[in-house]
Amino acid sequence: MNNKSSAQDSYYVNDALYDRLMILHEQWQLDGPVHSTALVNMADRQACESLIFAEARLADDLRLEEWLDCYSDECIYWIPSSYPASDPREEITLEFHDRRRLEDRVARIRTGVAYSMVPAIRTRHVLGNVEYWQGEDDEVCARASFIIDALFDGKHRILSGWVGYSLVKKADVWKVAVKQINLIDADCLQENNTFFL
Amino acid sequence: MSRFFLKEQKKIFGETWVYLAHASEIAEPNSFVARKMGLRSVIVTRDKESKVHVLLNRCTHRGATVCREKKGADTPFFTCPYHGWTFKNTGQCAAVPHADAYGEDFDKSHFDLKKVPYVSEYRGFIFATLNVEKGKKGINEHLKSSANRIDEWIEHNGGNHKAIRISGVQQFTVHANWKCLYDNAGDGYHPEFSHQSLLQMTQQRYGAGMDLDYFSGGIDSTPMYSQNLGNGHTFLDQRPCMYEASAFDRQRPQPGRESLVEQLTAEVGEQKAREYFEMSTGAGMNLNIFPNLLFIGNQLQVITPLSVGLSDMSWYSTVIDNVPAAVNTLRLRTQEDFTAFGEPDDTASFEACFKGMQEREIDWIDMSRHLHTNVDKTDENGVLTSLISSDIHMRSYFAEWKKLMQSNDESSLG
Repeated sequence: MNNKSSAQDSYYVNDALYDRLMILHEQWQLDGPVHSTALVNMADRQACESLIFAEARLADDLRLEEWLDCYSDECIYWIPSSYPASDPREEITLEFHDRRRLEDRVARIRTGVAYSMVPAIRTRHVLGNVEYWQGEDDEVCARASFIIDALFDGKHRILSGWVGYSLVKKADVWKVAVKQINLIDADCLQENNTFFL
Repeated sequence: MSRFFLKEQKKIFGETWVYLAHASEIAEPNSFVARKMGLRSVIVTRDKESKVHVLLNRCTHRGATVCREKKGADTPFFTCPYHGWTFKNTGQCAAVPHADAYGEDFDKSHFDLKKVPYVSEYRGFIFATLNVEKGKKGINEHLKSSANRIDEWIEHNGGNHKAIRISGVQQFTVHANWKCLYDNAGDGYHPEFSHQSLLQMTQQRYGAGMDLDYFSGGIDSTPMYSQNLGNGHTFLDQRPCMYEASAFDRQRPQPGRESLVEQLTAEVGEQKAREYFEMSTGAGMNLNIFPNLLFIGNQLQVITPLSVGLSDMSWYSTVIDNVPAAVNTLRLRTQEDFTAFGEPDDTASFEACFKGMQEREIDWIDMSRHLHTNVDKTDENGVLTSLISSDIHMRSYFAEWKKLMQSNDESSLG
């Protein structure tokens, strides 16, 4: 394989990371500011809120290179196929991307011949009920409900569910380390979801 | 609903063998899965003696859906929520509440759940039919030469069919007739065009010699081929190109590839690890068992018609017992690749084809590739082999479709 730069390696997706993802998933479901004594300070909270809102807006506006910049180098973008989610080492997901495959996804769309997106799919994300709490080390955890209105070929479609985030500060900039998108119909029939949720 | 569509439910999704479930999904006695046999809602159960039954999921009392869960374990009985009528997982009516009101002559055995009378399994794949003649002959007779290909698929996946297990499903709706999906399964002509986004992206990011790039250019001069296996079953073989050298080396890098390669190599040594890597990569086989089971890579794609213009396309993923856990992680991350990078573009074209077929003034589409080029060869088993871009797949299954649609075979519910 070409382009074996370190950014392209995927050593970080290992058992320790999968274990961590399952712990995060449990925390996103059970924890939160109600149970956690570790509230996030106001400055970090505002920065994290800006980040997750920007991430959603950039996906909607198909500013996909800037959207990718919202993610850390060692990120995970995960859409389980079951509800609640199961361990991705044991069950297929709808999507499970490391940084490299996320870049593949953007590059596919950018070829201009990704026919599943011709005509372009327009989306609008709405995030609500956002909760933040202090995670491990300097990580901030967040959880939100989402609704996505997706317009394709003149038809509207609504997707909804909840999303869990692990947010980390890299060189003074907050980044998304993990985004887990839990569709309420994850285990039901899906339509064309080739945009970013 | 269209007259043809309803006839298909009887003639195609009733009177030939229809794939319903994999044995691993109902591994334990008293487990079940809810499935569709065409439009029919059925429960596929394994009774306490491990026998498999296919029951119509319709209460014999008022017609309500008896079982409302998708799957379950430890379920020897199903109780209809409406009036409490209770059925064994063999279908036998076990209890009718306050039955005295039906009079002295009431015989609850007349109220067993209706059953699909013929259920047969080939190496873990469970099929059922309402057709008496086909049912009596059994599944092997129906699969014919495609059984050898299923064996090869099992061989790719370690050789022990009892160790192959379903590990979840990705389910999609497609706004097209079910046959538009089936058309594609043996179409070796489309990849160079339909999958341009995948091919261009892969070329840009990983260079030449990667996944599916052997479909670019003069595909009919490659050793890949297409076959009519009889009874509507067909086969498209990518292995001569995909597995010419390592198929794993061609695979777009899966998340965690490097760590899994390192881990497996340390665990079992380089040679065995290499075997596991190839086993984690798709089988290179597009094996189409008419009318609804498609082996694509290491996945099973099951097609279910929902209405004339709406279909359920479900991709069941597979893992293997008795291999190191890392092998299955690698398999799952590989099986997530095509559904994200390839299938969406095909689906857009299935939907576009179906739209085009609504034009009332134009009746025909073309499926004549290699019909007049004298390239087909038939072997002693009647298996017809053609070039990879041939439309032999469509011609073969439509011949079977037509035969079934015109048949006067008898079918019955038990």
